[in-house]
Amino acid sequence: MSENTFPDRARVDARDKVRGATRYAADTPLPRLAHAMTVPSPIVRGRLTAIETGAARDMPGVLAVLTWRDFAGVASAGYLLGGGRAFQSHQPMLSDRLVHRGEPVALVVAETLETATAAAALVRATCEAEPFAAALGETGEEVTPPQQSYNVGDAEAAWTAAATRVDAAYSHPAQFQNPMELIATVAEWRDGVLSIHEGSQNAGAVKFGLAAALGLDPAQVRVDSAHLGGAFGQKNSMQLQTVLVARAAMLLGRPVKLVMPRAQLFHTASFRPASRHRVRLGADAQGRMVAAVYEADMQNSRADTLRPTFSEITSRLYDIPNYRSAERLVRTDVQSPGYMRAPFEHPAAFAFESAVDELAHATGQDPLAFRLAHEATRDPVTGRPFSSRLLADCLRQGADRFGWARRTPQPGSMRDENGMLVGWGVASGAYKAAMSPAIARLRVRANGTTRLSVSGHEMGQGMRNAILATLMAHLSIDPARVDIRVGDTEAVPQHLTAGSWGTASAIPVVRQAALEVRQRLAELRGSRQMRGDLHQMLARLRRPHIEVEVRGHAPGQPDAVFGRLQNGLPAAGGPEYPDFVSFSFAAHFVEVRVEPTTRRIRVPRVVSTIDCGRVVSPRTADSQVRGAVVWGIGAALREAAEIDPRFGGVLNNDLAEYVVPVNADIGSIDVGFIDRPDLLLNQAGVKGLGEVAMVGVAAAIGNAIFHATGRRLRELPMRMEHMV
Amino acid sequence: MDDDPAGVPPAISPCLTRREAGLGAALVAGLAPAAAQAAQATPGATLRLVLRVNGKAVDTMVDPRTSLLDLLREQLHLTGAKKGCDHGQCGACTVHLDGRRVASCLTLAAKAQDRRVLTIEGLAPPGGALHPMQQAFIDHDALQCGYCTPGQVMAAVSCVREGHVTDAAQIREYMSGNICRCGAYTGIVAAIQDAATRMREG
Amino acid sequence: MQRFTYTQARSAEAVPGTGARIIAGGTTLYDLMKLDIETPAALLDVTTIPGLDGIAFAGDELVFGALARMSDAAEHPEVLRRCPVLAESLAKAASQQLRNMATLGGNLLQRTRCPYFRNGAHYPCNKRAPGSGCAALEGLDRGHALLGGSEACIAVYPGDWAVALVAMDATLDLLGPRGARSLKVAALHRLPGDAPQQETVLEPGEMILRIRVPVGPIGRASTYHKIRDRESYAFALVSAAVALDMEQGVVREARIALGGVATRPWRVPEAEAVLAGRRLDRALALEAGRAAFAAARPGRHNGFKVVLGTEAVADAVMIAAERSQRP
Repeated sequence: MSENTFPDRARVDARDKVRGATRYAADTPLPRLAHAMTVPSPIVRGRLTAIETGAARDMPGVLAVLTWRDFAGVASAGYLLGGGRAFQSHQPMLSDRLVHRGEPVALVVAETLETATAAAALVRATCEAEPFAAALGETGEEVTPPQQSYNVGDAEAAWTAAATRVDAAYSHPAQFQNPMELIATVAEWRDGVLSIHEGSQNAGAVKFGLAAALGLDPAQVRVDSAHLGGAFGQKNSMQLQTVLVARAAMLLGRPVKLVMPRAQLFHTASFRPASRHRVRLGADAQGRMVAAVYEADMQNSRADTLRPTFSEITSRLYDIPNYRSAERLVRTDVQSPGYMRAPFEHPAAFAFESAVDELAHATGQDPLAFRLAHEATRDPVTGRPFSSRLLADCLRQGADRFGWARRTPQPGSMRDENGMLVGWGVASGAYKAAMSPAIARLRVRANGTTRLSVSGHEMGQGMRNAILATLMAHLSIDPARVDIRVGDTEAVPQHLTAGSWGTASAIPVVRQAALEVRQRLAELRGSRQMRGDLHQMLARLRRPHIEVEVRGHAPGQPDAVFGRLQNGLPAAGGPEYPDFVSFSFAAHFVEVRVEPTTRRIRVPRVVSTIDCGRVVSPRTADSQVRGAVVWGIGAALREAAEIDPRFGGVLNNDLAEYVVPVNADIGSIDVGFIDRPDLLLNQAGVKGLGEVAMVGVAAAIGNAIFHATGRRLRELPMRMEHMV
Repeated sequence: MDDDPAGVPPAISPCLTRREAGLGAALVAGLAPAAAQAAQATPGATLRLVLRVNGKAVDTMVDPRTSLLDLLREQLHLTGAKKGCDHGQCGACTVHLDGRRVASCLTLAAKAQDRRVLTIEGLAPPGGALHPMQQAFIDHDALQCGYCTPGQVMAAVSCVREGHVTDAAQIREYMSGNICRCGAYTGIVAAIQDAATRMREG
Repeated sequence: MQRFTYTQARSAEAVPGTGARIIAGGTTLYDLMKLDIETPAALLDVTTIPGLDGIAFAGDELVFGALARMSDAAEHPEVLRRCPVLAESLAKAASQQLRNMATLGGNLLQRTRCPYFRNGAHYPCNKRAPGSGCAALEGLDRGHALLGGSEACIAVYPGDWAVALVAMDATLDLLGPRGARSLKVAALHRLPGDAPQQETVLEPGEMILRIRVPVGPIGRASTYHKIRDRESYAFALVSAAVALDMEQGVVREARIALGGVATRPWRVPEAEAVLAGRRLDRALALEAGRAAFAAARPGRHNGFKVVLGTEAVADAVMIAAERSQRP
């Protein structure tokens, strides 16, 4: 039992997963289950003037065709970032108002999926269309005045006076999370209780959001989100179909299932908005970075405000005495964009870390040495210390593993045995180390079982593993009989699991709960010597169980945050804490090979070294990093939503045309951890991992392409057309 | 619902009908408990379909439109195969049809007439040891969220049986029909290399 | 998807008279039915017809039963040895799951991936709704044709196998309401012209029975080179089927066809002529590549394919030539 290093341990739910026994929302078996299908809006923006449902209703097996007129008295659950609990404030089907492509205008419920789908195709909506702008850079977009986010020194003056200057524009397309699990809701209304099965990172928001929307007492709503088939930010709040399905189940008195078709999800769920970035960097005559000005525009919807925090990391990656940043929102006619893995940090790092590479090249310096030379020792923004910052260790260890010393600096100077152009690139990444309020309830029983309920959700990141590892580090209990309840509103209050704060929030309270169980046992035992494990000791003490409940929150947060936790509202804190600032850090080293004829780009090798504090679950942490690198490769080279501005919809709205990486795209990924605990942030020493591991990968790829070819690509995804 | 928090459904649209719901099929002893509920006529289930699923005979009525995936999931309650795209673009629905891996979402259920279907639920005997591929997926952490995993495992077993495991590059190519958005690809390749050895020994 | 009847055929002779839509593997048809783009009232499954799934040599011909699966032909050792362009065109298409389902005959009839076609009634599309217009002409045409387009349609023929077959001068044996006939694969697909909804010259109820490929000295030195947006499981940005007959570094005969850039499988005799009778080096291969795209008419977003395609043809020629050195 030690916290110094955690043993390698197989993923606790893997046995069920490899047998197909894990139940995701759409797998919920319920008798008399009816099937629903949505009818998407045929326009982008305007008003529904008529809806013809007769043909659908007349189809044998159809149980109901619901339109907005069936939702009288239902309210929007509100926007997550505006005091509400849904991914956008606009709840479709509450009125005749249409504000984005593909929003549902009707919900068909039938005995079978085939019937529901066929009937949905017969519903005809007539609309009054209004002009729209559905993509960045289109006529009709509304650009808000710039809002300054960070200002240190006098960046404009320092940049103007700099000896070497970089002024570069970068762009990032809209991208979609596309978790493999389709967004699905199964709703059952029985005995005055609404039971929802939905893969969500935020079961609490679904519970309280539904209660608010439907006028129910929250105690009447139960949400089960025990397993998610991936989420990546897209499932971070109440979805727009949830209330539709719930209402249908209540009206019909039967359980109803809706699995949203993949094509519709490109218009009915959140996404990473498009953004454009201008980065100006200046170096003095000695090649020292003295000024950075970072300006960015990010797509938003008309109604809701998602504030980009691009500069939260770029202001701190380096010790730059003069830094200024400002962002503008670009309002467009889309569903509200939201969070997709490293939502702002990945695009920001692509822009900023590309520009840093450009400045290193312009000043004739090795890009690794350049980065190390500008390593910050205190937070340049607040002047506070970092709770821990091992970025330099990441860079040095990663460089060793990668073999950076063998790199020849001149672009185009390296070739492999097949004549391919070889490029080696590096980039750094950071991501806030945030924490949310969390509650853990731990019951260890004499009968050999243990139950641990905690605020948190298992999306595949391995939270259950980290929890088990923490319990096993402190308690002698039977690991095979631990029931870990996450994502269950009936177990403990559930907070949004996102922003890489899941483990850092759950593990400290789980750890504390384990320590309190030990303490309680010690009190029971008194001076008696006892052998055996905890279960056996309880049996000898004739105690059926010990139960403790522990709550925790981020450093410096008031206890009032528990009120938000208990009401399904987000309440995370960080990265700026009263006495320090906290970030996780990453260094990525990438090798690309570019075919000299077609300019095809391949990524045979990546080395990523991470500072995420203590690594509690080594095996799943390793997988998290590999996955994040795959995401970085996808974001850098593959993924873009293609939007025809005349029509306003995503054209490549399926997995054949929205190209995410496949197995053949991925080569070797070597993962390293610094694995030193951050004991200022929390007693478990844990910082976040899932997102920082992606931050900087795209820039490292772009930097490697520059090294291979001398061509600097500033637009994502970097594709063939940019190379020829 | 505002006026009725206790939840008696109010009177609603006239289009609502109360048809008797049948689970629509499948009296198959031991296949899945829910499937053994009394089958009643489901609207549209006009085709009689006889096939073998995981070694057991199935005799059921299906809608001609039904995909093999929806037959397995919604009628036979074998929910291991997953719907990730419903268009043959992701591989999450992979099952074996007469011993070959196919995308069950893009296979008409009617095409399984008189044929053998193997799903993840039938890969290893219930309660017994795992198939070597399943064990290798655990050992190499070749999964994260687990949603694509049944399809990956079924594809991987075929990949070995087809002989497409000469080297990592060949495995990658022949596993590219199974998208893993969590990005467990390196683990999947390692698991297949490991299991290929164990399957040959076994 | 609207209702339809489903019947299984027991013999090829029974197919033409039924009036039903033929379904084989279903990887295109069922897919498009799910999108409500294909709406057949009756399906006739031909995969239950015995005896049409063989792959064999008959004299100088390689004969593929139309119901053989893509995966069977892709891995057939004799096909790989004597005509790798055919095997590679299949192996680089789709995924193994889909190759296990799709048939060699059905694959020829796969329909375009044009998103304006596939995304349904929100978008004008002359192929899906004749007379509604073509949204791609002034739209996102990165995936659209540079060759063979018309004012009505620039949708790309998405297949690989047909491109290889056109390069190899393959012939189809058909059975239709008016009896049996043979047809060059090169004559199967129509140019879109002003009727893009008519994609092939097949008559209703006419079925492909066999695909015959003459294999002589020109099969072995061949390749199918496919450039995609990812390394596998994607449609071609551009592809080149190349077969050469070479003697001591000199090209006797060349066959070149393009995929991913044209409205139908696109043979380029202009490029073949560049190579014929000349000593091959990469400069000449590049010249052939340029000739292959000389007639290209790029749109707004697909101009890069002229350069990319030129290089891909040149690479393919060099790969094929290397194979001519093999014993």
